[in-house]
Amino acid sequence: MPGIYGNYAPVLEEIKDEMMKRITAYTAEEYQKTGMKIHEHLIARVKSEDSMLEKCQRKGFPQTAQTALRVMKDSIGIRIVCSFIDDIYANIAYIKSFPDCRVVEEKDYIRHAKPNGYRSYHMILEMQSPHADIDGNTPGKYFIEIQLRTIAMDSWASLEHKLKYKKHVENQELIVSELKRCADELAACDVSMQTIRNLIHNS
Amino acid sequence: MRLLLAEDEKELSRALTAILERSNYAVDAVYDGQAAVEQAGNNAYDAMIFDIMMPKLDGIEALKQIRAAGNYTPVLLLTAKAEIDDRVTGLDAGADDYLTKPFAMKELLARIRSMTRRAGDYSPKVLKIGSVTLDTEEQSISCENSIRLASKETRLLEFFMTNAGKSLSTEEIFHHIWGNDDPVNGKVVFMYVSFLNSKLSSINADIIIIGGENSDYTLESGVSVL
Repeated sequence: MPGIYGNYAPVLEEIKDEMMKRITAYTAEEYQKTGMKIHEHLIARVKSEDSMLEKCQRKGFPQTAQTALRVMKDSIGIRIVCSFIDDIYANIAYIKSFPDCRVVEEKDYIRHAKPNGYRSYHMILEMQSPHADIDGNTPGKYFIEIQLRTIAMDSWASLEHKLKYKKHVENQELIVSELKRCADELAACDVSMQTIRNLIHNS
Repeated sequence: MRLLLAEDEKELSRALTAILERSNYAVDAVYDGQAAVEQAGNNAYDAMIFDIMMPKLDGIEALKQIRAAGNYTPVLLLTAKAEIDDRVTGLDAGADDYLTKPFAMKELLARIRSMTRRAGDYSPKVLKIGSVTLDTEEQSISCENSIRLASKETRLLEFFMTNAGKSLSTEEIFHHIWGNDDPVNGKVVFMYVSFLNSKLSSINADIIIIGGENSDYTLESGVSVL
């Protein structure tokens, strides 16, 4: 059924599943080696029809498969939520080792938090697929957006998301500054827990 | 600022009140130690001035009761006797300062300013070393990012920043932050220095604390931390 992704909708699902399989595989490998889970939560989705249509329109682009697959890079989204900050960077190292994936863009909002306090690591990958892509390339190239966060960063982001989508909030300025304070306090816990983990491992 | 004056000589009380009010203090005057204790319990004062010889309860007794109730407002004692015992007893009972009568008004005013200065603005609230700003009120450090500190971490970093570049021993660090009552615990000092270094690193700071467990530690700047 033709939608915003045209004929490519099933390919997107396949690519998403392939990436999930790989993440699950290296997670199992790490678990074998260390007895520790390198992530706590792993979620993946192909952006819904409605969301993608809305985004194309909001950004001022035509609502076409070309926009959805080439201009927008988050048709496939994966979120990896970890217990510790170092686990995030361990996941990144594994992902960067896949030979058929190229990092198109990455933003470290952990070392360079956004002014509102948001922390996370964002990566856009271009993954190769045996299926041709919308530009006629074979192997086809498909974008995947990966977000890596700690549990604390993820909680904060969910709350901040709710604030962004509520129309009228009283004391907006005060709430925003208090949310930032919470972000900094949560970051302090993340850093301290990582330090404690390091101290335990090093002793 | 608001002061509590407890002086039983009404003439002197009126004179002191007038001069203090001219120096922009709000003054509540009482004439015995019991009234002083009651007033101190009912209102918040920035400083208190007590005569020692007063009816009902003397100045030292009133002070003891006030301190026992958990009130740490600075107190200055006025004494007619130039007796060392009175001064010692008064200071040990919790007084911050004393003045023997007769005294010069300008000295009383200067001592009040000195007492209230320490309670408020004496130590800087915001410190900066290198690219790092420590806000001791907010308990946060900022550079490129900002992050929050726990209470002891704040005091520890404040100690390092006000002594930047100096080599500080584990013992003096422990006593300064954790107090003089417990035996020196080098492990907890090392742990907290580790916490601080991790947090400094997380905000991309250009300062770092060098030193190992049970050694001396120094806050150094101009360092790239990674």
